[in-house]
Order: sequence, then C-alpha cells, then structure tokens
Amino acid sequence: MNENEQNKSGPETLFADWMKTSTAFWESMASTWPAFNKAGGVTPDSKRDDKTSRFQKSWESTQKTWTAWSQIITEPETMKTLFKETGMLPEIFLKIAQTGLNSFVHLQQQWLERAGKVQESTKSYTFENFDEDALKVWTKLYETELRKIFNIPQLGLTRFYQEKMIRSVDKFNMFQSNLTEFLRLLSLPMEKSFQVLQEKLVALADEGNLPKDSKVYYQMWIKILEGNYMTLLQSSEYTKILNKTLHSMSEFSEAKKDLLQDTLLYTLPIPTQKEMDELYKEIYLLKKRIKELENRS
Amino acid sequence: MAQPKISVDLILSKLAEEAEKAGESAQKASDVLLESLETKIAVTPYDVVYEEDRVKLKHYKPTVEIQLKRPLLIVYALINRETMLDLQPGRSVVQNFLQEGIDVYMIDWGYPARKDKYLTIDDHVNGYMDNIVDFILDKHNLDKIHLMGICMGGTFCVIYSALHPEKIKNMVTTVTPTNFDTNQGLLHIWMKDMDVDRIVDTYGNIPGDIMNMGFLLLNPARLMIDKYVGFIENMANKKFVENFVRMEKWIFDSPDVPGETFRQFVRDCYQKNLLIQSKMEVGGKRVDLKKITMPLLNYYGKYDHLVPPEACELLTGKVGSKDTEDICLDTGHIGIYVSSKYQKEFVPRIARWLKERDEDKKKRGAKKATAKKRVAKKTPKKTAALKTKKKK
Repeated sequence: MNENEQNKSGPETLFADWMKTSTAFWESMASTWPAFNKAGGVTPDSKRDDKTSRFQKSWESTQKTWTAWSQIITEPETMKTLFKETGMLPEIFLKIAQTGLNSFVHLQQQWLERAGKVQESTKSYTFENFDEDALKVWTKLYETELRKIFNIPQLGLTRFYQEKMIRSVDKFNMFQSNLTEFLRLLSLPMEKSFQVLQEKLVALADEGNLPKDSKVYYQMWIKILEGNYMTLLQSSEYTKILNKTLHSMSEFSEAKKDLLQDTLLYTLPIPTQKEMDELYKEIYLLKKRIKELENRS
Repeated sequence: MAQPKISVDLILSKLAEEAEKAGESAQKASDVLLESLETKIAVTPYDVVYEEDRVKLKHYKPTVEIQLKRPLLIVYALINRETMLDLQPGRSVVQNFLQEGIDVYMIDWGYPARKDKYLTIDDHVNGYMDNIVDFILDKHNLDKIHLMGICMGGTFCVIYSALHPEKIKNMVTTVTPTNFDTNQGLLHIWMKDMDVDRIVDTYGNIPGDIMNMGFLLLNPARLMIDKYVGFIENMANKKFVENFVRMEKWIFDSPDVPGETFRQFVRDCYQKNLLIQSKMEVGGKRVDLKKITMPLLNYYGKYDHLVPPEACELLTGKVGSKDTEDICLDTGHIGIYVSSKYQKEFVPRIARWLKERDEDKKKRGAKKATAKKRVAKKTPKKTAALKTKKKK
C-alpha cells in the first residue's frame, strides 16, 4: 500500500466521506419537501401555506449553512490541521484541569487562613467555660467570616428577591446566636443554685442538721435561685445581652416583614402592612385636624 | 451504738408520708379541676356611658346611697387591664368604693389595634381623658371631680392634673412612678439602655406578650417556678384554684401598648426623667408639677419590684399643693389592691380622705368647726404596716 492509499484510508478521509454522505442525505430530504407539500399538504388556506413555506425557508437556510460549513471542513488542509490539534487535546485538558485544581487549592488556602484568623481571635477563650466560649467563637466566626458569603452581590432579574431572602436568613442567624447567648445567661443561676444547694447540704450533713421535710429543701433552693437571679438581672452584662437580643429580634422581624411584604404579599390582591400604616397615619392626622378645627369653632 | 449523723430513717418516713399525702391531694385536685369553677372576673355591674374609638367609660351601679357630691374617676394603666380592681366579689376595690357611697367611673382603655400605634401620651391625656372628664362634669353639672390613678394611669393623672388643674378636686395616686432616676427597680435599670426607637419602629405597638415576658423576668424564680409549685400544692383547695385562675386570667390579659405612647414614656420618663423635673412636654405644653394645687394622696408599696418607693415618694414634695400625704404599705405592686389584709384599710382610708375634701373649702371649714364642737376628732389607727408622711 503506497502513501497516497494510506492517506485515503486515514481518519481524515473517513471523516470527509461521512460529512459528504450526511450532507447529501439532508439535501435529498430537503428536496422532497415541496413534493410532500404538493401531495397532501396543500389547502386553500393561504395562512397554512405561509406557515409551511416559512418552515421550509428556515430549513433551506440551515441546510445551506451546513453545506457551506461541511465543504470547508472536508477540505484536506482543514482536516489535517484539525487532526493535528486532536493530538494536542490531552495537553489542553490537562491545562484546564490544572487551572481548576489551582483555583480550588487557592480557595482552600483562603479558608484555612480564615480559620487561622478565627483561631487567633479566639485564643483568649479556654475550655473552662466551654459553652460560653463555643457560643462566642461561633458568633465571631459567623460575623467575621461566614457572613461574607451573604454579602456576595446578587445579580440578574431576581436580584431584589434574593437579597431580601438572604438578608432575612442573615438576620435570623444573628438573632438565633444572640438568643442562645441570652438563654445561656438565664440558665446560669439555675446551674449555680444547684451547686450552692449541694454545698449547703454537705455542710448540714456534716453538722447532722439535715432537714427532714422535703419542703425545706425546696425553700432553700428557691431562695438561692431567687438571689442568684437578682444578682444576674441587675448586672450590666445581662442588660447588654438583653438589649443585643431585642435589637437582633427587631432586625430579624423587620427583614422577615420586608420579605413577606415585598415578595409574597405584593403579588396578592390585599394591602400590605406598610400601605395600611400609611392609611392609618392619614386617618390619625385627619382626626386630629378635625378636633383642632372643632375646638376653634 | 452511736447515734447516726443523718437520721435517714426519719427523712425516709417523712418522704413516705408526703408521697401518701400527695396521692390523696392529686385525687382531690382532679375532682376540683373537673367540676365547674367560678372564675369570672369583673362582675360588678356597670354601664358603658361613653365610648370613643377603643376607649370606654364604665359607670358602676351604686349599691348604697351616694355620699360624695363628686364622682371618682379611676384611670388604670395601659399595661394589663382595669379588671384587676374588680377581681371577684369580696375582693374588689370597685365594690368597696361603692359600699363607701362613692360614685365610681373607670376608664377601660380597650385593646389597641395597629391603627392606634400613632397615639401619643397627648392623645391619651388631653384627648380621651379630657373628653371623659368633660363628659362626667357635664353629666353631673359639676366643675370638678375626684381623680385616682393606678401605676402608669397615675402618671397620666399627674400629667392631666398639671395641665387641667381646674377640673380636679382631689387626686389619689397609687403605685405611680414619677421619679424614674432610680436603680431600685429592675425595670428602671433595663429601660435606661433600651433602644426604644428600634423596638417601636419594628413592632408598631408593643406586644402584650413581650411586656409580660419582661415582667416575668423580673423574678423568674418566684413568678415562673414557685408560683406554680404553690398552685400544685393547693390544687385540692377549690377556693384557692378559683382565685389562682382569676389572677392568671387577669395577669395574662395584656393589651398591646400604643407604640408612640410607649416611645415617649420610655424616652421622656425612664431615660430622661423629665416628669419629676417639670420638664416634660405633652401636646406642646410643659407639665409643671407646681400647677398641681389640689390635695394629693400618694400610695405606694414598700416591696414593689415594678415601681419601687423611690420612684413614687418624690412627687408630694414637687407639687404645688400644700395638702399632700404619702402612705407606704408593707406590700408589693398588686398587693395594695388584692391582698385581703389591705382590702380592709386601703379603700376606706381613701374614701375617708375624699369625704373630708369633697366639699368646697369654705363649706368644709364651717362644717369642721361645728363638728369640732360636738365630738373630738377621731384619728386613724396607725398600724405597723402603714407609714404616713403628711405635708399640710
């Protein structure tokens, strides 16, 4: 077999032959179209004729583009270049994969750095107050790192709704975090009161003065608990966390209201609270004005 | 054999005894809870004689002959409901006033709706209250009436009497906060740093449940635990259960507080303490306490955790009146009105005080002179639970 014959039976020739055959097939299919129309598709309805011819025109135009493109691609020079590039494909794929992997590693590195920062910022916490520290670490981690995800700008037609939804999720997370801290604070006197009671009971047992009546134990405990609560409730730490919780609760309520009003209620045929408030204010001011005028006359 | 340090046998036998008692009590309790209970509150008959928006004026039907020329208008707070003054027959401030021959009117502030969120202190005091006072004056053809305020309602009465002194003959304030610069009460501590604007802007009206939660947190051990332990212990006692349920009905019947009123009350009173300094402005007018020239009787509770004595006792020294009296009772915020001990002396004392001041000065002077000639003046008994401070 000479070189020319070898070339003829190579992948380029096979591909070119397949292109030619398929083009010829679609050309013949296209040529049968008018015959099909004449055979059964022709009706006195001119509109239907228009529709058929529009479809046929579109088909012919596509077919012409395909023929032109297949002619170019089946030229021996083009085929050669194409198959030369095919040999380079693994190299290109490798490059794409490498870039992707690099980006992923970089992202991971960033996360690790962030985690490192979190570790740095929480160095002062110890495992002595595990629940308190865990809460503080979580809040800080959320505020400084995780929250950034919610700040990624939203794009597109639904940007407005996405923003409302994300804001509401963010405010909910903040409220939950503050509420947990507040509840933890409220549980402290309870925990402490049991400790103090146990110490007292040990002392009484040592003295041999353990009360016989169970009510006495309860009275002792409730008195300790009340005292512990009074100390906590008067502290500036309690007021600070209470205000923080109330503030975040208000922010969450507002975000939730915005989401419901501006997305869901807006589409329903009922007035929103915002609209009703405006109306109430107008009525309120009008009533005041009437009273003033009545008093003047 | 040496005596053991802990008498385990005694403790165990006591426990067994208590368990037996608890079993019996549980059986009785189920009988009590399953039978019909009388738990209605506010049953003293009345007519609604005036209505404006959500606000109603209750006029109670006299039970004996009216002995005072002027009726008494009672102004309750916007927090919780006025039904506390008429919890049940035999434990009702309103009923006691009626039995003293006093014509009683009481404001029912109703349940503020969303549309009421714009209502300010001015709207309540110079609007609803003033309209109600005018209505009573017209109805009785009088120039002045007696005014009595409870808690925040008392603060409203103080503001009203300073702005409209010509319409008030005598004023009684009970557990009324006027000096807010104190750390005696937890509310005073918490309110100082509260971001009231944020809360009002978010909620419009302040939800009653949030307010109730705040009140429960004033003493969680007693109000959230001990109270219900007491209930369980006494569930077999029908009377106790009925009274307890009545109290629960009242305490958790909490209307929302109109937002703008709450905002001004917290900002001007709790945070800036303007009222006691005569610097507060209502409806564009300064509330000058020196303009309160009518006699003033000021009641408060020594163990009041909501409105501590320090929040109440400065008022009598700041008003323009020379006829003032402070009475501090050994009880808490609600005890003044509902405890059986103070039921016996609280209303009769106010009634006596009002009767002494019901008529015009000239007439009263002439009557007093005649009376002095006839009988020696009786002085009220001083009990250990009563501390009074007079300025005359």
